[in-house]
Amino acid sequence: MTALLQVEGLTVDIAVPAGTLHAVRDVSFSVEKGKTLCLVGESGCGKSMTALAMMGLLPKAARRNARRLEFAGIDLAGAGRKVVNDLRGAHMSMIFQEPMTALNPSYTIGNQMMEVYRRHKGATAAEARERAVFLLGKVGIASAGDRLGQYPHQLSGGLRQRVMIAMALMCGPALIVADEPTTALDVTIQAQILLLLKDLQREFGMALVLITHDLGVVARIADRVAVMYAGAVVEHAPTVELFAAPQHPYTRALMECIPVPGRTLPGERLGSIPGNIPALIGTVTGCAFRDRCALADASCAAEPPRHLAGDHGWACVRGAV
Amino acid sequence: MTALMEVAGVRRDFSLSRGLFARARTLHAVDGIDLTLEKGEVLGIVGESGCGKSTLARMLLGLLPPSAGRITLDGVDLAALGRRKLAARVQPVFQDPYGSLNPRKRIASIVALPLAVHDMGDAAYRRKRAIDMLERVGLPARFADSYPGQLSGGQRQRVAIARALVMRPEIVVCDEPTSALDVSVQSQILNLLMDLRQEFGLTYVFISHNLAVVEHIATRVAVMYLGRVVELAATAEIFASARHPYSQALLASVLTPEPGKGVPDNGLGLAFPDPLDPPPGCGFNPRCLYARPVCKATAPAAVADGAARVACHAYAPLYRKEFE
Ligand SMILES: Nc1ncnc2c1ncn2[C@@H]1O[C@H](COP(=O)(O)OP(=O)(O)OP(=O)(O)O)[C@@H](O)[C@H]1O
Ligand SMILES: Nc1ncnc2c1ncn2[C@@H]1O[C@H](COP(=O)(O)OP(=O)(O)OP(=O)(O)O)[C@@H](O)[C@H]1O
Ligand SMILES: [Mg+2]
Ligand SMILES: [Mg+2]
Repeated sequence: MTALLQVEGLTVDIAVPAGTLHAVRDVSFSVEKGKTLCLVGESGCGKSMTALAMMGLLPKAARRNARRLEFAGIDLAGAGRKVVNDLRGAHMSMIFQEPMTALNPSYTIGNQMMEVYRRHKGATAAEARERAVFLLGKVGIASAGDRLGQYPHQLSGGLRQRVMIAMALMCGPALIVADEPTTALDVTIQAQILLLLKDLQREFGMALVLITHDLGVVARIADRVAVMYAGAVVEHAPTVELFAAPQHPYTRALMECIPVPGRTLPGERLGSIPGNIPALIGTVTGCAFRDRCALADASCAAEPPRHLAGDHGWACVRGAV
Repeated sequence: MTALMEVAGVRRDFSLSRGLFARARTLHAVDGIDLTLEKGEVLGIVGESGCGKSTLARMLLGLLPPSAGRITLDGVDLAALGRRKLAARVQPVFQDPYGSLNPRKRIASIVALPLAVHDMGDAAYRRKRAIDMLERVGLPARFADSYPGQLSGGQRQRVAIARALVMRPEIVVCDEPTSALDVSVQSQILNLLMDLRQEFGLTYVFISHNLAVVEHIATRVAVMYLGRVVELAATAEIFASARHPYSQALLASVLTPEPGKGVPDNGLGLAFPDPLDPPPGCGFNPRCLYARPVCKATAPAAVADGAARVACHAYAPLYRKEFE
């Protein structure tokens, strides 16, 4: 089966005063219809830039390159702006990390939700309104009709996030790229939203690229996981496999950082990864994690070899542990 | 323990206009809260999205006046204390790092701003303190002259934390301080918050959706639902044996990192809470598995159970029989 989304050798370079920042470095992955890929990794590792690059929404200072960037057989890298604009919102849509930047503060949420639907579907205002009310109900917002008249700043963080999710679903897209879609939600609503997304996947074969810091969410809904570090994918595997046998030292360190009732004691210090992500300005050589890796030695200054065991891959001088 | 802050009978309504001719509707964001904040504690606040946590936080910070009730700091009404005096003692870390940082200011001056507002030292001193604090929250000095737009979401949240801590306030009101952070940075920030608490005797109000984090850092937990506190107890107690049915559902919805288990059904159904039209009686009754007629008739008052408090008729001596 060919994948719905295929990304090969994606790079994003951002011009900054100190030079060129390599925010995304040679990233490849693919997602099939109805499947979920999770992107995880430290803050600043390039997850949002990867998502924005796929959607053609990078900031002006950023430059995108890819050997292949294909959605439903359409070459996004070569397609004109008009084609991409028509796809975005209708066939592939994005849930942004920060709702406040994605929602326009001077329009009501009803206006914004209805506009997407009318533009792409040529629907009447009444149809668009009905669809908006229906979807707000699905994401757990009561009195949806009255909420349509509210402005973004009149909503709580979690309500805004849910409005954005509902907005992304308006046109029934084939692909959703969701950047931290449930961080502002309590766990009961989070479960509601994840079940809704799962339903849409089952019913309509919607594919999902989900960026999240929450390893609990990853474990429960991802089919595959790609772990990013310093702009590159350092490990990728089917979810069960990744949790059972993480191979890259960074992935293993990440798993140590979460408070897990029963394993960590309240108030006790949590595992953390000392040091900081490297600057990524100028040329990056060798393994980018080596400064923070307990297992690093001189050999890590060379480009790390890529291992592939079945469909579990990682980039490290060390083989399977 | 001494009470540092007291919240008594606090409500906050918002009026929702529905155009020129329709009658405005009232949204009850906070609907009668009594709480004390003890010196040195970490009071965790959890609850459904939209239940009024941030509204309460903004009132504690003096950024929003209550519609009714009173909030005092060391016995003085916040309204009488004045914004500047209050800001020197109580500082926020907000949920939305993007909205709370001025996009046209450089990182170092954003962090130094509270010092400037309170006339502390000269510019060079303030910059040095800002950079020290940035390093403590894990942002290297090379970010000092960047703008917020050049940072990732998590990096921006660290700036907000540095700005709150640079004044060495007594109380820090954290509204989802780590929800934008990845787990490794989150653990650094939590470790940092705990160190600073030791070092400076800080008191925290800690709002979070991440229950594992709350269990880890809080000493007491208040569970909110539809504008009220439905349960208040020591952290270990809530997590071991939650009393209120909503607290129980909340805990049952936590996703532990166990692949293959899927997303559990928490049994809450689709009667989502509506602050525009709260149900009569207990706010949780439309979703409660144990609801009895009394729950639809009267709102439960908080009853003491040991040191804990729970607002549920099942724990009230008068109605307890009905739930057996
Ligand atoms: N507009 C910009 N100008 C310059 N650098 C930027 C810009 N936007 C992002 N960056 C940098 O690009 C890198 C990748 O950022 P990105 O937002 O993709 O991180 P992320 O993985 O999504 O992090 P988080 O988990 O914190 O959201 C970071 O180092 C960030 O500082
Ligand atoms: N300025 C405002 N005008 C109208 N309604 C408002 C305003 N501010 C908040 N509200 C409403 O008050 C209710 C409580 O909001 P609040 O932000 O306190 O919730 P919260 O518990 O912090 O939720 P979340 O977990 O999603 O952040 C929501 O229904 C929200 O829409
Ligand atoms: Mg991001
Ligand atoms: Mg909030």
